[in-house]
Amino acid sequence: MTEFYEAVTAYPDGTSTVSRYAKTACSYGYDGLVVRTRQSEYDPQAIDDTYGVDVVSGIEIDAETPDSIAGSVGNFREECTLLLVRGGTNGRNRYAVETDRIDVLTQPMANGGDFNHVLARAAKTHGVRVEFDFGPVLRQTGGNRVQALRDLRKLRELIEYYETPYVVSASASTHLWLRAPRELIAVGEQIGFSATQIKEGLAEWGRLAERNRRRANESFIEPGVKQGKYDSR
Amino acid sequence: MKHLPKHIRPRWRYLAVGIESTPDAEIDRGAFQRELWYAAGNLLGDPGSADADLTVYSFSFDEGRGEAIIRVRRGETDPARAAVACLSEVGGEPVGVVVRGVSGTVRACEESYLGRRTGDFEQRQVVFADAQRAAFSREDALEVSVPAGFVSATELDFE
Repeated sequence: MTEFYEAVTAYPDGTSTVSRYAKTACSYGYDGLVVRTRQSEYDPQAIDDTYGVDVVSGIEIDAETPDSIAGSVGNFREECTLLLVRGGTNGRNRYAVETDRIDVLTQPMANGGDFNHVLARAAKTHGVRVEFDFGPVLRQTGGNRVQALRDLRKLRELIEYYETPYVVSASASTHLWLRAPRELIAVGEQIGFSATQIKEGLAEWGRLAERNRRRANESFIEPGVKQGKYDSR
Repeated sequence: MKHLPKHIRPRWRYLAVGIESTPDAEIDRGAFQRELWYAAGNLLGDPGSADADLTVYSFSFDEGRGEAIIRVRRGETDPARAAVACLSEVGGEPVGVVVRGVSGTVRACEESYLGRRTGDFEQRQVVFADAQRAAFSREDALEVSVPAGFVSATELDFE
């Protein structure tokens, strides 16, 4: 069975602590949570024991220019399991999709940002996941929401055509804005996604975390090579 | 008007919905119904929301937690679920909603998915973000009062 993960903004940037997100996520049927906030304090082991939710430490870099993003990537890459970069301008989107050390480009279409075939191809080449941000669809109304829907559609068409890897998130900043996987699937189907796409997008967070943890492991040397006993499989 | 013969009456499904909000939120059935219809109208359009129906049948909300039963036409449960997911605020207060399950009768819906209300809030003082603060606690969840509103936490944050 696919394991669903969701990425959230926790206290102090959001208004719920990581453990509260975990409590809600557990009752909604999620298997894990990616924390986007660097300053959040939590005990992943205690949360896993109490709520059975796997907490992945992530950092979402929100910097103005590619230069400052580059600085933050160097500073924070070692600190976290998943490194996310907030997109939204051409410079930031371009830098993020062309950097192997970045895992996810978030909100590429926010604030008038744009995406095109060059970025979609680059993201695939460099293994950077592009985020479908469902936040505006769930929480905005009127013109803003229409624009968000139009942007999601454009992004989806590019990503389908170029087979770019992607993730899906409701980008909650309080636990009240988390939505269960089935709800996200239902919303996705209304706005033109397929159920499989949403499921894959939610599961991709977990697969990324798993991959990065394996790589951070001391016995890892390079993909396919690891230190240890001979394994006949 | 004379009621319809049984075979021609519409078939319904009932969604059991769990509602959560801030401790001082006051949500009544009318406000919830209005926001739900707005959400459905905006997401599904007029024809879609007319098909889904989305009448709030029973509604209860107290101390930041509530439950509702929403009537939906059979075969329209997926669009209805999407409309429910798009409810993000009622009366200016953020709300969390989740569809706990779907049943064919109101009674089955109540018996299977509703009535899980647990205890009232307990007032407490906790140390959070380097200061003594008032908090509402229920089970292992706490709503800590800070100048900007509430921060939602659990007992794990105070160990």
